[in-house]
Amino acid sequence: MAKLIGGLGTSHVPSIAAALDKGLRDTPDWKAFFDGYIPGQDWVKEHRPDVAVVIFNDHGNTFFLDKVPTFAVGCAEEYRPVDEGWGPRPIAPFKGEVDFSWHFIDTLVENRFDPMICQEIEVDHGLQVPMELFWGRPAEWPVKVVPIFVNVIQYPIPLPSRCYEMGRVLRQAIESYDSDERFVILGTGGLSHQLQGARAGFVNPEADQAFLKDIADNPDKLAAMSREQYVEMFGSEGAELMMWLVMRGAMDRDVVVRHKHYFVPASMTGAGMIVMENKEAAAPAAAA
Amino acid sequence: MDDKDASDRIPDTPLFDRKRSLAGYRINKMAMGLSKPENREAFRQDEGAYLDRFGLTPEEKEAVMSRNWREMVRLGGNLFFILKISAVDPVRITEIGAHQAGMDHADFLRDRLGKK
Repeated sequence: MAKLIGGLGTSHVPSIAAALDKGLRDTPDWKAFFDGYIPGQDWVKEHRPDVAVVIFNDHGNTFFLDKVPTFAVGCAEEYRPVDEGWGPRPIAPFKGEVDFSWHFIDTLVENRFDPMICQEIEVDHGLQVPMELFWGRPAEWPVKVVPIFVNVIQYPIPLPSRCYEMGRVLRQAIESYDSDERFVILGTGGLSHQLQGARAGFVNPEADQAFLKDIADNPDKLAAMSREQYVEMFGSEGAELMMWLVMRGAMDRDVVVRHKHYFVPASMTGAGMIVMENKEAAAPAAAA
Repeated sequence: MDDKDASDRIPDTPLFDRKRSLAGYRINKMAMGLSKPENREAFRQDEGAYLDRFGLTPEEKEAVMSRNWREMVRLGGNLFFILKISAVDPVRITEIGAHQAGMDHADFLRDRLGKK
């Protein structure tokens, strides 16, 4: 059966992509941010996952307000970068893990989650940026992807607890999938930021640091929080952080944190990264 | 509709609920159109005519044409859509933030974002 080898969390700020496109990686605004991801990239190189399940939100690029799925799952052969207004970014298209996607959709519905099913769909920076942060910008991606789109823009957005529950179903789908592939799950978005209203520019580094600790040690607490609490604590767009709970819900109760990184501000956002493994599966020497 | 709507329990934080989504539908649809190169070109060539295609009210049109971000949001514009205007007429997102906060850009970077 397929195996879950790690849970990764990361911000997906579009300015990160713009910084890479403009060659700003080593400028004072960005160097410390990108350097903090090197241990995450090394972890990926060492552990060689075959499949990345990426939980993210579309930012009014693939979906308009005419049709807003609360949860959507991609089951396409290929996912191309969407034109967000500046033309599609020149990065390799992502290859889909089609068979697993359908197996996951089956498992979701059997567990009373009813997602939108997407056989042709493009992806925005919400998926692109996390992939680039962990895998760089290869001519061809060394992993296949399974995109999970979560609506965190048009209210009513889903409950944090619902995201957490979806993670449990994702774990079940991975462990019942007849394959020897190695899976990682990427929970993306956040951390604190607010783009709209007079509170625009709100960041909350203390709450962000606490989140990076709680996502490993106390996820039940994060899952029990209301949407309003997310907005209040992390800003209107910081509510994206609830998507990390899908990743965390797929993991064991006890995890080992391999790497963690925090940087503020990445453009207008508190940006963070975490790499976790299930404690039971983690190599004892490294886990000590 | 005011920024300090009764449904907004968190100060200065407009949530994109049913009311805002309905109110802002025209502005957001217009901005979503800028995902297409031919529409970006049309916007560049004759902005007023492009906006008219989406039936914007005079108030909405004025907010867009004067790049009044705070007003666009007040009218139901959502940043993720209206940001596409900056793909045609470049402006930094931190400038859009500063404008909504009613702050000078340098002050905004320092006081809100903690930039040194």
